[in-house]
This record gives sequence, structure tokens and C-alpha cells, in this order.
Amino acid sequence: MESKIFDKETLLDLTVNFIPLGIILTFIAVFAVVSPWGFDIRASGIMYAVMIIMFTALGVLTYLSGKAIAGDEKTKPVYSQGQAFLDDSEPIEHEEADHDVDQNDHAVDETDDDETGAGADNEETDAESDEEVTANNDEEATADNDEEVTADNDEEATVDNDDESSKSDN
Amino acid sequence: MDESPGLSDQYRKASPWPVFVALGLPLSEIGLVFDLFPIAVGGLLLFCGSIVGLLLESEYATTMWKPLIVMSGLLGVFGGLLIVADGTTDVTLLTRAYATFAAAIVMALGVVAGKLFVPKRGIPT
Amino acid sequence: MAINAQIALTVFMGVLLIAVIAWLTRIEDWRSYSASAGGVVSQGERSEYIEQEKPAGIVRWLTTVDHKDIGILYGAYGLFAFAVGGLMVAAMRIELATPNTTFIEPAVYNSLLTSHGITMLFLFGTPIIAAFANYLVPLIIGADDMAFPRINAIAFWLLPPSAIMIWAGFFAQPLGLGFGPAQTAWTMYTPLSAGVGNDPAGGAGIDLMLLGLHLSGVAATMGAINFIATIFTQRDENVSWANLDIFSWTILTQSGLILFAFPLLGSALLMLLADRKFGTTFFLTDGGNMLWQHLFWFFGHPEVYILVLPMMGIVSYVLPRFAGRQLFGFKFVVYSTLAIGVLSFGVWAHHMFATGMDPRLRASFMAVSLAIAIPSAVKTFNWITTLWNGRLRLTTPMLFCIGFVSNFIIGGVTGVFLASIPVDLVLHDTYYVVGHFHYIVMGAIAFAGFAGIYYWFPLVTRRMYQATLGKAHFALSFIGTNITFFAMILLGYGGMPRRYATYLPQFFTLNAIATVGAMILLVGQIIFVWNLVTSWLGGKRIESGDPWNLKEDGVHTVEWQWLDRRIETALTDGGDEEPIADGGEVRTDGGTESDDD
Ligand code: HEM
Ligand SMILES: [Cu+2]
Repeated sequence: MESKIFDKETLLDLTVNFIPLGIILTFIAVFAVVSPWGFDIRASGIMYAVMIIMFTALGVLTYLSGKAIAGDEKTKPVYSQGQAFLDDSEPIEHEEADHDVDQNDHAVDETDDDETGAGADNEETDAESDEEVTANNDEEATADNDEEVTADNDEEATVDNDDESSKSDN
Repeated sequence: MDESPGLSDQYRKASPWPVFVALGLPLSEIGLVFDLFPIAVGGLLLFCGSIVGLLLESEYATTMWKPLIVMSGLLGVFGGLLIVADGTTDVTLLTRAYATFAAAIVMALGVVAGKLFVPKRGIPT
Repeated sequence: MAINAQIALTVFMGVLLIAVIAWLTRIEDWRSYSASAGGVVSQGERSEYIEQEKPAGIVRWLTTVDHKDIGILYGAYGLFAFAVGGLMVAAMRIELATPNTTFIEPAVYNSLLTSHGITMLFLFGTPIIAAFANYLVPLIIGADDMAFPRINAIAFWLLPPSAIMIWAGFFAQPLGLGFGPAQTAWTMYTPLSAGVGNDPAGGAGIDLMLLGLHLSGVAATMGAINFIATIFTQRDENVSWANLDIFSWTILTQSGLILFAFPLLGSALLMLLADRKFGTTFFLTDGGNMLWQHLFWFFGHPEVYILVLPMMGIVSYVLPRFAGRQLFGFKFVVYSTLAIGVLSFGVWAHHMFATGMDPRLRASFMAVSLAIAIPSAVKTFNWITTLWNGRLRLTTPMLFCIGFVSNFIIGGVTGVFLASIPVDLVLHDTYYVVGHFHYIVMGAIAFAGFAGIYYWFPLVTRRMYQATLGKAHFALSFIGTNITFFAMILLGYGGMPRRYATYLPQFFTLNAIATVGAMILLVGQIIFVWNLVTSWLGGKRIESGDPWNLKEDGVHTVEWQWLDRRIETALTDGGDEEPIADGGEVRTDGGTESDDD
């Protein structure tokens, strides 16, 4: 399951964070080999701690965000930024569309917890959001684009995959 | 008072309290730091009172008595801490502690008065 | 304190409280709250009262909890602070036009220096970002409002008192209250700021500034919690993590940074205040100065990214609209935003390379500082690639976006040099550093702010700004920025130290050039303010919800759809406002939208 979320395409997206990780790693190695000031448990300890903590933190965040983003990408229609509930927007097609079929059923529960969604019943927000829901907000742009939600990625293969939309999905 | 609805009933996107929360906090900070007794007491009352108003308005609380008692208690504890700390600092913290107590007592008295004199349809002080 | 003063204060406080209560009883019906007696007012009952959403007039602005109104308040506040900070620095640059003291005393210079920095970072930078975020994030992610609308309002209203406290010293001096403004510089290094030796740097002015900063930190933290809650829980169901827009991503990251950085600043400020007022010695013992610097910069470096990340978000959002295509490598930008967010907590000591800290420790901060340059560079490449072969339309917001990229490159590259210890030891505390961070704070952060203001001006006001003035603003800003701050970089190479009111004659020429640049900037900003005010009051009405013709290129976004619906409802309702389709010849692509009025 993990390996399905972290497929080749996702890993390619994540390379952007592998580079700083690599730089930090290189420095750790260099400082281990070249140490003109010698080793002192307190100073060198903190030195390695700074780099190792940063390395781990960035690694963990990259993993978590990759999981959330790539997970959603594989289970839900993907729109260009700012166009998700635009009236006439179509989900953008991505190259790996044929993988989706067998991934859908697995990945759904995998990412369920990530997707707290619009109607989340967060205790604290209840009081406030309730009273706002009851009031008529005709001018709000809560789009009614059910058709797009139900639209299945696989059937949308006809969507013109012109250079722009494929680039945006890079 | 007439039967007209209050601001926050009438308009769903308005509330009078945030401004006063935001005014009460700096006033109490200034009063406590610069040892200005009246400012500290007034600021704390404004701050706590507005928070109570906010809690009622957003229906996190149904009456004002419980939040008032809780805040009065918190201020009491804070004042107590100031008294404890007083021994360890160069500067006396006693008047600051008294200011905190004064605010706490005013609120507690408010609750007592409210319980006694506002039997139904309460219009608080 | 004299008895009289006590009485005066008591009377003042009493009158204030009574006024508050009187006002509240006038506008609030207390009975609707007393659920114990009257029962909770049910939703149904309540809704029949609702005719409009907000009261009218000034009361509306004082009591609003609507994210759009709060966004406008933040924006007005931020621009006001920008003007104040700008005028402060204008005075400083005039002083620096000549090597000797001619225009203002060194003490005044120091006060202005301190207030300029703090004003721009805390009273302009953070609020102007909150303005965009409040107005736009709920619209773009399809939320009804922020998760906690009232906390949102509190967070804003904490800012005006905070500004008054930060500037208090300037008023106190002429009023004869016995203290002046702080002269500590924005970094507030101890022991100077701790008041050692008769408190030469400002007295109670420093105390008030610390309290004001603390307050603005509380406000920022409350806002951050609100944004995190909103983005996590209030998204439209179509908005998944995979297509959350880049601006919301940067706001989410920024909020995370605020959540870790600002409470720490708050604690450090309170510790310093305790040192000053209550005789503690957090920063007065051996190593106390280093402690302050560590605490300050652990906040201070993330703060610079708190400011720049959302602005990068705005550029990443706006720039593609006028390149006629989607952002290149959208996910690269998202991941690198997150990477910057994490790494920014591991670089703080690059501001302290010259303090004599252990060289091994120093080396690790250099490593992380060099690593953080990569995600920044990646974004730059993405912007440039988005422009590549795009159908560019050089509207005013687009010009500012391109100016942002250009200035960010210079600011970023100079930063990478500073991150290298040997270079920093030479350039630290020279004008090179001033040049570096101004390329970013003015050349990038303010530019992105301008881009956003022009781009969303029609969304907020339903009017168009005056394009010619907008372009003049851009030209003057871009030229002024580059003259001023490039001269500073050269001054730094020449070794001129920062934070002095006077300098050696050999630095005269470049300083004079920098002052000329600053004056060009000033003229540009006056045009900007004029343009905003007159266009808001009487600019040409826009006809549709797509004033930028985004549909044509398929880069239309939801906030404009929202505007479209708003305009439609206004029309069908008969319109409480004058008819919108009056212009006819409103041109939307190149900013020839309107002539004056
Ligand atoms: C590209 C990554 C960046 C690197 C590697 C970098 C590096 C540095 C370094 C090493 C210093 C310390 C110079 C000294 O005092 O000797 C510095 C100062 C500064 N940088 Fe950057 N910087 C970067 C980006 C930024 C950004 C994005 C901002 C603002 C949003 C910024 C704002 C500042 C400020 C305000 C200072 C001066 C602080 C002071 O001493 O008052 N930097 N930078
Ligand atoms: Cu830094």
C-alpha cells in the first residue's frame, strides 16, 4: 500500500526535498571525516544533533506530506490550484491514470484520516459553524458540482491532455 | 429594556466582544507591569467580562455565573503566585497581587449579587 | 506615585468601564443570553431576526466577525503601518545623505531605526499577509468563514493597542511623561535592552515596546491557530490535499511556523521584561547575552520565512494567471514550501556566527543554512519555467510578480553567501547584510504584497485601479529598490558598519545614491496610496466576475466565480449599489482598464 502511494511519480516529486536532505547528509559525513577542532562531546554532540534533528524532521514531514498529497491524488479527482469547485472545471488527467483502478479500494481507508473534509464535526467549531449554516448564504460560492465529484478518473481519459495541464501536474 | 434583539442575535456576522477582549488584555498587562492599580483592576475586569460575554454569545456557556467563578478563581491563584514570588524579587509585587485579588473579588461579588438579585430573566450588572 | 495621579487613573478607568457597559447595553440584548431563565434562543427563532448580516456604519467595522471584513481591516492597518514605517525611514535616509549629523540627532536616529524595523516586520508584514489570508483562504478552499470567527476578530483588535504601545515613546517624550522611544534596534540585544547602566536606550519606552510586541505575538498565534483549524477542517469536499492551492499551503506552513516561533518570542520578551522590571537575571548572568541571542534568533529566523512564504504563495498563485498556464511543477513548490518550513528552525545561529560560539556548532548551522537555499532556488526555477513560452500579459500585478522573482534572486544569492561562515565573518554587521535582507523584505515581500493588492483589488472593491498609476508605481519601486539596496551591498563590501547615524566621508557617494533611491521609492509609494484611495472611491466599476479575462486561458479560479455570483445577486436584487455595467469599454487584459475616475 505504501509502495503504491510512493510510486515512481511521487518519488520524482519528492526529489525536491531529497536534495536538501542529501546536502545535510553530506555535511554530516564531511564533518565526521574532517574535524579541525577535534571531538568534544558537548560541542560536537550539539553539532550533530542540529543536523540530525533537521534531517529527521524534514524526512518525516516529507513522508507525511507525500502520503497526504499523493494519497489524495490517487483517490480523488485532481484539479488545478484554485479550480476545485469551479463550475466548469474538469479534473486534470495524470499519466498514471491506469493504475488507479486497483488502488482506489485500498487507498481510500488509507487516507481517510487525512481527509477531514468540509463537514468535519470538530467540537469547537460546531457552535459557530452551525449558526452560519442555518443562515441563508446565497452568495457563497459553495459550488454544486456533483457531476464532477462522481466523474471517474478512468473514464476521463478523453480530457485533452494538452501541454499545459500535464505540466501543471508535473 | 425593550424587546428588540441584541446585536449578536440580529446580525450573524457581528459581535461586540472581541474589541473589548482586545482592549482589556493590554490594559491589564500595562496595569500589572507598571504597577498601576486602577488600570490593572479595570483591565482585568474588562478582559474577563468580555470573555464571559463571548462565551455566552457563542453558547459555550449558558449562564455567566460559572465562567465568572472560574475566572475569579484563576485570578485568585495568579495573585497568590505573585505573593509567593514577592519574596524572591527586588521589586515588591504586593500591590500587583492586590489588584488581581480586587478584580477577582469584584467578579465573585458580581456572581453572588447575580444569584441573589437576578432570579429570572437575568439582566446582569 | 502621587495620589492625584492615582485618582486620575481611577476616574479614567471608571469612566472607561462605564462607557463600555453603556455602549454594550445599548447594542446588546442581555436577556437573550440568560438561558437559565429564558432558554437558549433557538436557531429558528434567531433566524427570523436576520435581515442583514451586519449592522451599518462604524459599528459594523467594530463588531464584525466576517472574514472578509477582518481581511479589509488587516489590510488597512497594514498599509497604515507601512506608511508610518516608510516615513520613519525617509527621515533616516535624509540624515544619511551626509556623513555628519545634520537633520536628526543620533538618539532620534536610533529610535527611528528601532521602530522602523519593528513596524515593518510586526505591524506591516504579518498583518498584510493576514489580510490576504483572511479574505482569500476561506473563499478559495470553499469554507463559509474561518473556523473561529470571533477569535479572528480578537486577533485583529489586539494589533492597534500593540502599535500604540510600540510607538508610545514617540508620544511620551513631547508629552513630558519622562521616557522616550526604545533605541535597542529590532533585535533588542542585551545587556543594552536589559536596562543595565541607567537604562540609556529608552526606559519605559522599552517596557511598552516589549509589551506591544508580546501582544502582537499573541495576535499572530491566535490567527495561526485559526488558519490551521480552518484549512484542516473547513475545506470544500472537492479540495483535497492534492489540489489545495499554493497560497493556502503557504499559509498553512506559515501558521505552523508561527505556532512554534511566536510563543517562544513571547516568553523571551517576558523574561526580558522581568529582568527590567522585577530584578530577575535571566539575561544578566554569564552567558545571558548569548541566551538572548539564541532565543531571539530561534524566533527571528523563522520570522523571516513567516513573512516570505505566504508572499511566495501569492506569486505562485498570481504569476501563472498572467502567463496563461498553470504553475509549472505545482507539487515541487508545495514540497519545497514544507521543507523551508521545517529547515527554518535549524538555521538561527547563522545570525550569530561572529559571537565567538563554538566553531563546531557554527559549522552545523552553516550546513543547514546552505541546505535551505535549495528549496528557495527550486521555487525560483518553477516561476521562471512558468514564464517560459507563456502567453505573458504584463499587467501591474504581473510586473510586481516578475519584480519579486528578480529581487528575490539577488536577495537569496546574497543570503547564501552570508550563510558561509568565512564570508559572514567579513560582512557581518555591515551594510551588505542590510542590502541582503532589504532585497527580500522590500524587493520581494512588499512587491508580492503589491502584486496581491492590485490583483485582488477588483475582487474586494468591484472597481479597477488606475493602470497607468499602477505601472508608474511599479517602475519607481523597482528602480528605487535596486538603486537603494544595491548601493548598500556595495557599501557593505566597502566595510561600512550598519546602525549608525553618521559615517566616514569615504562612504558619501554610495550613501547619497542610496538616499536618492529611497526618495524614488517614496514617490512611488505616494502614487500607490493615491491610486488606491481614488480608485476605491471612484474607480471604474468592473462588469463581470472575470476582470482579468482568466477564463480565456483556462486559469480562472474560484474566488472570481464567487465575485461573479455576488455581482449577479446584486443585479437581480435591484442592487443596493449603482449599476455595474456602466463602463462599456472596460479593458481587462493589459491594465488599460480605466482612466481616472
Ligand atoms: C535564501 C536563504 C537565506 C539565507 C541563506 C540567508 C542568510 C542570512 C544570513 C547568514 C544572515 C546573517 C547576516 C549577518 O548578520 O552577518 C542573514 C540576515 C538576515 N536575513 Fe537572510 N537569508 C536568507 C533568506 C532570507 C529571507 C527570505 C529573509 C526575509 C524574509 C531574510 C531576512 C534577513 C534579515 C532580516 C537579516 C538581518 C537580521 C539582522 O541582523 O538584523 N533572509 N540572512
Ligand atoms: Cu536567518
